Amino acid sequence: MQRRRRLILTAPLGALVAGAAVSPARAAEPKVLSIARTEQFDSLDPTRQFDIGSSTLVEMLYSKLLAYAYLERPYKLVPDLLLAMPELSADKLTYACTLRTGVRFRDDPCFKGGQGRELNTDDVLYMLRRYADARINNKSWFAMEGAVVGLDAYRDATRKAAPDADLEQIEIAGFRKVDAHRFTIKLTRDNPLFLFALAISPTAVVPAEAVRMYKDQFSVHPVGTGPFELNAVERKGTLRFTRYTRYHGVYPSVGAPGDAEKGLLKDAGKKLPLADVVEMPLIEEAQPAALKFLRGELDWRGLDRANFSKMIVAQGDGDFKLAAEYASKFSIYWAPSQNVSYTGINMKDPLLGKNKALRQALARLFDTRGRIKVLLNGRGHALKSIVPLGLPGNENETGAIGIEYDVPAAKRLVAAAGFPDGRGLPVLTVSYGGSDADTRNAFDFLKARAAAAGVQLKVEYMDNPTFIKSIEGSNFQIASYGWVADYADAENFYQLLYSKNTAPGPNFPAFANAAYDRAYEASRHMSNGPQRYAHFKTMNDIVRDEVPVILEINSLVFGITQRWVKNFKRNFLQPEYMFLDVDMAAKRKGLS
Amino acid sequence: MAAGIARKALGSLWRRPSPRVCLLVLGIYVLIALLGYAQMLPDIDASVGGSEDPPSWHWATLLGTDILGRSVFYRVLAGAQTAMTIGFLTTALVIPFGTALGLAAGWFGGRVDAFITWLYTVVVSIPDILLITAISYAMGKGLTSMCLAIAATSWVGVMRLVRGEVLKHKDREYVLAARAMGVGPVRIMVSEILPNVLHVAIVMAALVLLSAVKFEVILTYLGLGIQEGTSWGLLIAGASQELTNGIWWPLAGTVAAMFALIYSLSVVGDALRDALDPRVG
Amino acid sequence: MTAYILRRLLLAVPTVLGVALLTFLLFNAFGPDPVRTALGQHATPEAIANLRQQWGLDRSLPTQFVGFLGQIVSFDYGKSFVTGDDLGTQLRAGALVSLSVVAPPFLAGGAISIGLALFIARHREGLVDRGARVLFIAGMSVSALVYVLVMQYVLAFKLGWFPISGYESGTAALRYLALPWLVLLVVQLGPDIRLYRTLFLDEAAADYTRTARAKGASDGRVMWRHILPNAWIPIITTNVTTIPFLILGSFLMERFFSIPGIGSLTIDALSRGDLPILKAVTILSALALVVFNLISDLLYAWADPRVRLG
Repeated sequence: MQRRRRLILTAPLGALVAGAAVSPARAAEPKVLSIARTEQFDSLDPTRQFDIGSSTLVEMLYSKLLAYAYLERPYKLVPDLLLAMPELSADKLTYACTLRTGVRFRDDPCFKGGQGRELNTDDVLYMLRRYADARINNKSWFAMEGAVVGLDAYRDATRKAAPDADLEQIEIAGFRKVDAHRFTIKLTRDNPLFLFALAISPTAVVPAEAVRMYKDQFSVHPVGTGPFELNAVERKGTLRFTRYTRYHGVYPSVGAPGDAEKGLLKDAGKKLPLADVVEMPLIEEAQPAALKFLRGELDWRGLDRANFSKMIVAQGDGDFKLAAEYASKFSIYWAPSQNVSYTGINMKDPLLGKNKALRQALARLFDTRGRIKVLLNGRGHALKSIVPLGLPGNENETGAIGIEYDVPAAKRLVAAAGFPDGRGLPVLTVSYGGSDADTRNAFDFLKARAAAAGVQLKVEYMDNPTFIKSIEGSNFQIASYGWVADYADAENFYQLLYSKNTAPGPNFPAFANAAYDRAYEASRHMSNGPQRYAHFKTMNDIVRDEVPVILEINSLVFGITQRWVKNFKRNFLQPEYMFLDVDMAAKRKGLS
Repeated sequence: MAAGIARKALGSLWRRPSPRVCLLVLGIYVLIALLGYAQMLPDIDASVGGSEDPPSWHWATLLGTDILGRSVFYRVLAGAQTAMTIGFLTTALVIPFGTALGLAAGWFGGRVDAFITWLYTVVVSIPDILLITAISYAMGKGLTSMCLAIAATSWVGVMRLVRGEVLKHKDREYVLAARAMGVGPVRIMVSEILPNVLHVAIVMAALVLLSAVKFEVILTYLGLGIQEGTSWGLLIAGASQELTNGIWWPLAGTVAAMFALIYSLSVVGDALRDALDPRVG
Repeated sequence: MTAYILRRLLLAVPTVLGVALLTFLLFNAFGPDPVRTALGQHATPEAIANLRQQWGLDRSLPTQFVGFLGQIVSFDYGKSFVTGDDLGTQLRAGALVSLSVVAPPFLAGGAISIGLALFIARHREGLVDRGARVLFIAGMSVSALVYVLVMQYVLAFKLGWFPISGYESGTAALRYLALPWLVLLVVQLGPDIRLYRTLFLDEAAADYTRTARAKGASDGRVMWRHILPNAWIPIITTNVTTIPFLILGSFLMERFFSIPGIGSLTIDALSRGDLPILKAVTILSALALVVFNLISDLLYAWADPRVRLG
């Protein structure tokens, strides 16, 4: 808004002085994206974070060895700092990697002469050391645990070392430097999942000079090779990212079917980022953010239920359109998210753990489709297997069969469980890790339906920390939970019921089934294909029969963008910002 | 003695029109609460219409419906019951506790007084919100723990007032006479002093009730709400999201109900204070 | 005087100890486990053990308490569990922002309230007084939350007179603070005026006022020359003791208007179990209260020569 006022004042003056000077000024006008962040960030030091609020920002400031393709689906790994995808040796144990040349860190006083230097193999080794360092990384280590030769031994050494000790003289056997741009990584076993670990934000490459110079302040003083730079870091204010002119990335030339027709490939080959500035204010409350978007002050927003019902009309058969009054102003998108929600049953519970019929009955009392329709306006999919739709190995590929809402069947099962008409059945407790309106509505919805089969439910709303504590201590009967994909593979979801992952791992129902474990162990390192999917089917069938968890929703994510934002395609694994273009003339005009 | 005071207070309230109306309003709320305890209030979980219908001229849909088709009006009534419960529970905790401590501090003086003073200074030094949240964490969620937490921050006012009154009365002739006659301290406190400080407690009761109801709204908004059932805080929190969509009736209805209760409590509290305070008038 | 001050400060020690004990018990002993919150869905036994050790949570409770006491004395609040940032810097920055949110309405509101209360007290029991009383009680019967919701919706969204939310440092903050200031002013007006009105009326009933009137002074003169000077003392002492709690910056304002002050910091800490921040804020407000109580008493003694210190 201030820009508008300034132009109005200076335009007449400019016209007086030199009419020609006004047009070039306008052509050089910086392209500004205004996007709200809804969560604070923990740290901008890649190795010290693994939350969504930090991850997005880290990926704007730093680069990793691998990334995900922006446009192609299903999600696919592409090289970022590497020149090409790593080459796998014949024995499937060693990856040969070649770095791009000419990738430079941004200029910063930590470098000699203040000039950012070229990124090389030593930086990759430095990143690996920090990633494995138990004094630094406690959040994302699991992704490489046991994968690289010698890395776990290094981690053990860091655990015993003093907090400030420098362990660089310890060799890591699995990492071999060939020259300044080539290196190899040796794995402990054949592991197709390993490459995903090179695409998570904690493995972004950082310069040792910056870490040594800024120490604790490094987490708010980023020095990277990413598409954007950040000069002033405010935790709760507006972050103003500026384009890094030496960034190595270019706009992709390959897309998914249909992308070319939508105009998503018209900038193919152009140097990134396309925007000059990204302004990201922190807006945690939904109402202020919604109001700002509707006034044209934000370029993009996720759509929550309230705004969805107001602005979007379902066309049936999975298509959605904006209501007429908004159609000319905004564009919408939707995609299946990377998270699944499910309700876990405590297999150690004296009543439910031993009574399979009762668990099966409960599963048939969850009217997930009804809940999606009433409480979520249809923005979700009732899961048939534990894998979300966007990943390979999901139910469409494995042919999984889900459990349907079926009150008569539930009643029969309750009787078979020994409680005809629910007589003698104690009240069951359902726990939630939140108490906002949506959670309460979800429980109320469930409670009414369970009552129809004689099953009485009572609820316990807890705040998240207390909830986590209770499910880990197995202090619950039934608990509502969810999982977000750490990487784009179904194994990340099947491991949720692996018996070796019981608390404090994510298998909080404490499900322990030998057949399931066998299928999981066999399939976890396989490549996707019919053989692997046969194991998935085994696991799906076991879950369907034993019901340690009741599968619920893979949500459909909706969002809305202003008409002046171009090239937008929602990507859950790779921030979109560097690919976006802004029509500043239209943005200046605003929504009036 | 207490009955006499109560009768005098109510009498003076009844005479003036404004407190009289407010007393009636309070009576209605008490009635709603009692009906609720007797399970005679309409079912708040029953679906009475479509999702988010606007108000219409039936009892059930007087304030429209919420997202699950439930009656907003019935839920507001249930919220009234919750409010009265919270108010009464908190008051029942605060008044006896505060009065007892005030009596002890004022009467015994010395170390007892010093200890109680230390205790309340510590409590007062911690910001209310933090104290309440910390207690909720420690004691778990739910109605009782919320009342306990609010009570923990409200007892100080009562205690100090009662203590002040006790100090005033301690050296009066009738007390000295009773002591000279060998009457034990507890009996003196109960039979001689207590009736004279009761008016303070009664006035504070109205204020504690009122602030407990208001506190619940903020606490629910911060995520420390009740578990089962519904409350005004929950209704307002839910309604705030719908406001941007132009759905204003749940918010308006809940605010109106809250307003009536708190306004009446304020007026009655003020009138009580005027009626019972020996200085004014 | 110095002896009095020293004695008062000494007396404050048991209070601060008490606060420290209570805070520690509530947060460390009974509070939520911050380690699990920080690790989220990736808590492995190894990660948990590491983090506990890093944060000093694996030591025995008494040892942790002693450590906490040491922190209080040295004013070193350590680092936030969640972000690892130094707390001292965070708190100082947040304090300034919160101050800018609550100080202007406090001062302006105070002046307006005193003025209006004087006016109302002057015309007590008249239409103005009774009408005002009804208005203010009505105003106080609505939760502050509702004021924020409605005013933000109507004034910022519908009418566009103010920005909806946000904050920028420096002088640009003015346009973002205007609406929160207005809301705070409106919410506090009722209770404040009623308080001051009572104060003034108490003074008006005192002997010296009756004497002044008996001597023929007009109502206005009585107000200005007799009541007001005497009422200053309780006015100032009440306000001074409120100041420490102002800093918590009105949680609601900071939350709804996305203003990065201490109140906002505290709410986040509450939901994430960021113990160091919660403990630091609690102890600091206790210390501040001790200091401001002392100042208030000193002011009282200075203003009223009848009061003897000690």
